[in-house]
Amino acid sequence: MQGRKAKIDPVTAQVIGGALENVAIEMGHKLARMSYSSIIRESEDFGAALLDAQGRQLCESVDSTPLQLGPIPGYMRGIFRVMEERGETFAPGDVVMHNSPYHGASHGPDVGFCVPVFRGEELIGFSFTTAHHLDIGSLHPGSTGIVDAVDAYAEGLQFKAVKVYDAGKKNEAVWQILRDNIRAPGMVVGDMEAQIAACRAGAERFVEIVEEFGLEGVNAASEELMDYSERMLRSRIAELPDGVYRAEGFIDGFVDSPNENEKDLKIAVTLSVEGSDIHVDFEGTAPQVDLPINMPFEGTVDVAVYLTIRSILLDSALTEYVPQNDGLTRPVRITAPKGTLTNPIFPAPTIARFCPGNIVADTVMRALSEVAPRNVSAGVGNLKVVAYSGLVGEDYWVYMDITEGSYGGRYGKDGMDAVDTLFANTRNNPVEDIESHYPLRVDRYELRDDVASGPGRWRGGLGSIRQISFLEEGRFALEGDGHRFAPWGIFGGEEGIAGDLLLNPGTDGEQHLPSKIPDRRMRAGETVRTVSPCGGGYGDPLQRDPARVLDDVLDGFVSEENARKQYGVVLSDGGVDAAATASLRERMAGERA
Amino acid sequence: MHLVGVDVGGTFTDLVLSDPEGGETYTHKIPTSGDDPSEAVIRGVYEVCRMAGIEPSEVSYLFHGTTTATNAILEHKGAEVGLLTTEGFRDIVHIGRHQRPQNYSIMQEIPWQDRALVKRRHRKVVPERLSPPRGEVLTPLDEEAVREAARELKEAGVEAVAVCFLFSYLNPAHEERAREILEEEMPGAFVTTSSSIFPQFREFERFTTAAINAFVGPKVGRYVRNLRAGLKEGGVRADVHIMRSNGGVSPSEVAAESPVTLLLSGPAAGILGGAFSGEVSGRRNLITFDVGGTSADIGIVTGKGFEEAGARDTWIAGFPVMVPMIDVSTIGAGGGSIAYVDEGGAFRVGPRSAGAVPGPACYGKGGTEPTVTDAHAVLGVLDPEHFLGGNMPLYPERAFDAVGGLAGKLGMDVREAADGILRILNNSMANATRAVTVQKGHDPRAFSLVAFGGAGPLHAVEVARILGVREIIVPAYPGINSAIGLLTTDLKYDAIATQFTLSTDPDLERLNADIERLEGDVRAQLRSDGIAQGDIEVSRGVDCRYVGQGYELRVPLPEGR
Repeated sequence: MQGRKAKIDPVTAQVIGGALENVAIEMGHKLARMSYSSIIRESEDFGAALLDAQGRQLCESVDSTPLQLGPIPGYMRGIFRVMEERGETFAPGDVVMHNSPYHGASHGPDVGFCVPVFRGEELIGFSFTTAHHLDIGSLHPGSTGIVDAVDAYAEGLQFKAVKVYDAGKKNEAVWQILRDNIRAPGMVVGDMEAQIAACRAGAERFVEIVEEFGLEGVNAASEELMDYSERMLRSRIAELPDGVYRAEGFIDGFVDSPNENEKDLKIAVTLSVEGSDIHVDFEGTAPQVDLPINMPFEGTVDVAVYLTIRSILLDSALTEYVPQNDGLTRPVRITAPKGTLTNPIFPAPTIARFCPGNIVADTVMRALSEVAPRNVSAGVGNLKVVAYSGLVGEDYWVYMDITEGSYGGRYGKDGMDAVDTLFANTRNNPVEDIESHYPLRVDRYELRDDVASGPGRWRGGLGSIRQISFLEEGRFALEGDGHRFAPWGIFGGEEGIAGDLLLNPGTDGEQHLPSKIPDRRMRAGETVRTVSPCGGGYGDPLQRDPARVLDDVLDGFVSEENARKQYGVVLSDGGVDAAATASLRERMAGERA
Repeated sequence: MHLVGVDVGGTFTDLVLSDPEGGETYTHKIPTSGDDPSEAVIRGVYEVCRMAGIEPSEVSYLFHGTTTATNAILEHKGAEVGLLTTEGFRDIVHIGRHQRPQNYSIMQEIPWQDRALVKRRHRKVVPERLSPPRGEVLTPLDEEAVREAARELKEAGVEAVAVCFLFSYLNPAHEERAREILEEEMPGAFVTTSSSIFPQFREFERFTTAAINAFVGPKVGRYVRNLRAGLKEGGVRADVHIMRSNGGVSPSEVAAESPVTLLLSGPAAGILGGAFSGEVSGRRNLITFDVGGTSADIGIVTGKGFEEAGARDTWIAGFPVMVPMIDVSTIGAGGGSIAYVDEGGAFRVGPRSAGAVPGPACYGKGGTEPTVTDAHAVLGVLDPEHFLGGNMPLYPERAFDAVGGLAGKLGMDVREAADGILRILNNSMANATRAVTVQKGHDPRAFSLVAFGGAGPLHAVEVARILGVREIIVPAYPGINSAIGLLTTDLKYDAIATQFTLSTDPDLERLNADIERLEGDVRAQLRSDGIAQGDIEVSRGVDCRYVGQGYELRVPLPEGR
């Protein structure tokens, strides 16, 4: 024990912690099973959590994505703020809808639903879900690739702590306005109802736990679990040398823009460690732009910072189980100058904040790499999110496809191939699901083996190639990043490979496109190929185990020529020529010096 | 008639011989043989026959629970596997669902990437393509390309191949033709198709299931051959029937064709044993609670039989497995689970276990860390005079030392710490039990808890209290309950086909034709197993969901057209 006297015995604290987490998991199951859109039921782009009466997160569903879970306390603070301004209070039977990115929401399409939990007259906490919705009434179909929105109003409907059920009574007018102003309303409203049902189930179970252990017991256990998570993170921060660590990352921005201020945008991170505290500051980051790659400070930037620090210093594969709760935010302070990409001023648009947020996370990791070299990866490849849509009669179909990035090499391990990255962790949609529901055909879904991923002692992970054709006329829009800047190499490793986007590859009309494409019309037969980046290398490639290089050659990831050029490994007769490899590596090392 | 049940566990091979027409029941326990578990099985069968005073040739049926497939996947020691798939989709089994297994980890492993079932060099693509909704052929199968791939795989020393084409669940023709060609070109190889294992959508999960089948296939095949040969040599005439994950048995040769269905062979036998014990007590709603040294397996039995897991929810060794399985919730909590204080000051128990070596401190075999068994020893629950029937010495003073060290760190006295170990463990077990009861809509208060395995009865009362369960049943032979379960089972086959249809506008012609075909297949298999027509029972079901949702509920389908 760290000299701190817990108010509850450690055994009961563990028991209550397990029971609370079970509730959040159950909420997640319910939501996934009841929802209609593949973005929720297949891609798991949702979050579920319980909070205490002060809005502090107690537990979360493990079957969902960090970028939906992390922002929930921010949504709650936003709701508190708005309701206080209006002089409103919570009543039993309320359901509150909220998606304002200037009041804690992650971005407009991630709509939060909040059910206050009452025991009798007493407000004891909140049951909360978030989920990404297919359409929220933006200027064109879908809720991704809205890259030409000029302000928050163009992004779609904004809900600021709206009671869609008021003391148990359904607010029909709000639902009607909603239905009339979004595309694919059947699906979207069905998904929202699933969120509410999951919240209500969570609220009931929360009350049961309080009945069983008493409110005092649950509160004391919650305090202890938050303190525990805080202590764990503080002990790891304290192991780092005090100091100021800096890193820079760049986002593509809009490379086809005539405005220089809209491309090659800098994210600057200054990370200071002092004792068991970390301060992350974004001074030096590019100013905000009139395009939706600004990031809500609360809901995107803070989440990217918290989750990256947690994943590095309290890596769940290497440490004890540490509950993801409010305690993990206490040792970390975040500041960003107003009017920058990382702290925009209303009504700057933010809807396409996902990919820039990944660069924030990646740059925070880079800043920590110097002092936590065995817990970071080299540069991470960013991903792309695509909206496919079309009309059948007067009705829209909308499909949202999340592609994947890749991780850089790690100490002792190559980078993870073709995965969702850093502050998100969704799932792809099966080819067999896509083609069964939409007039689309998936032509290809494979790893990139046309290039060598970032060479290193442990090489970068491989990106993917995903190619989808329209079987009927439709529309397409895309948000992505990582075309201009390859993922960084580290400790002697080389940089990875940038991503790409092709229209109608292999035809006369083949075109390379930038990483942000506003809505465009697509003819039947037209094809989109997304190519994700490959991660950066970790450590000197000349130190890579020749057997691993041989494996990569046999598996088609590295050519024999690159084995020689990049790794100094000579192959003969299907094996490694040890003597030739040793002398080649010696010569290459000499030339380098 | 003499029935023999043999259950092979990690440490012990348990046997039971029974005469259902009123004779005596004999039980036997011998150490599991490491390299080839069939040795102990064969020896055990002879020994239990000798105990009963019968000849091996007098055994009428032999039922067997095996961990051969389970261990091959858990230890990642399987065959060199090849995969034949649709051109453009070479890496489905590597990319998976593009989701990292853990949300908050940079250094994590991804099982399908770090422990690939099929190396990329052995993943071959061929031109062919089907499309939904009916599996129409867009691109015919390029048979020459299949032949070429087969030759390359053979050359590379591949011994098992999984054939995995997109949309094969709608039309298996391409997979079947490719299988024929592979069998021609690679005689002796183990060839499997994804549509024959589990014809449902979601390609990563279906392909991975087929790849696991190929990965464990040759090993299970060898094991079954050794077992059959050894038993035959010793005069056993009865065929071996193997317990499958679905809770039924099938003849060993049939089981060896789809070994992916054997991954839960052991736990399934346990649940059936629990069900039997409940039945003889006249109870229909049961929680089966099987606790050993390192893990606890918890299952549910109701008047309708045991529960089946949703195929989406079953994972083994980090891989998704889409085959019918008994619903069992397994946690790393048992008698050997180690208690400790972590670096943040939290009091934890398991999942690390002291195992058989060094074992709990009180066994006196060199263990020094406090375990659950030590907590029992401290609290006087275990009687040193009668441990394992008085056959095993117990050293409670060593338990006091081990638990005392932990108590010091927690600022507790030794009994408080011992009590705390049990409370934490019991609550973990209760949470795992909630996963198969409350979370599936069963109220545990309406169930009896059947406690077995070495440590089950020790924890049953407390777990029952936490869950509100009112009754506990301890079987007569809790230590060999799984072997007894084997004797209570039926031959059982699952047959599945996928066809999407609206309940408001069903294609009844096609539905009836499909159902009749499936039923005919299953009946033919059972008749070839020697089962009389009158003894066959068929149950039918459809998986239903609301239009647009993605998860189904199984609804029973009455007989008739």
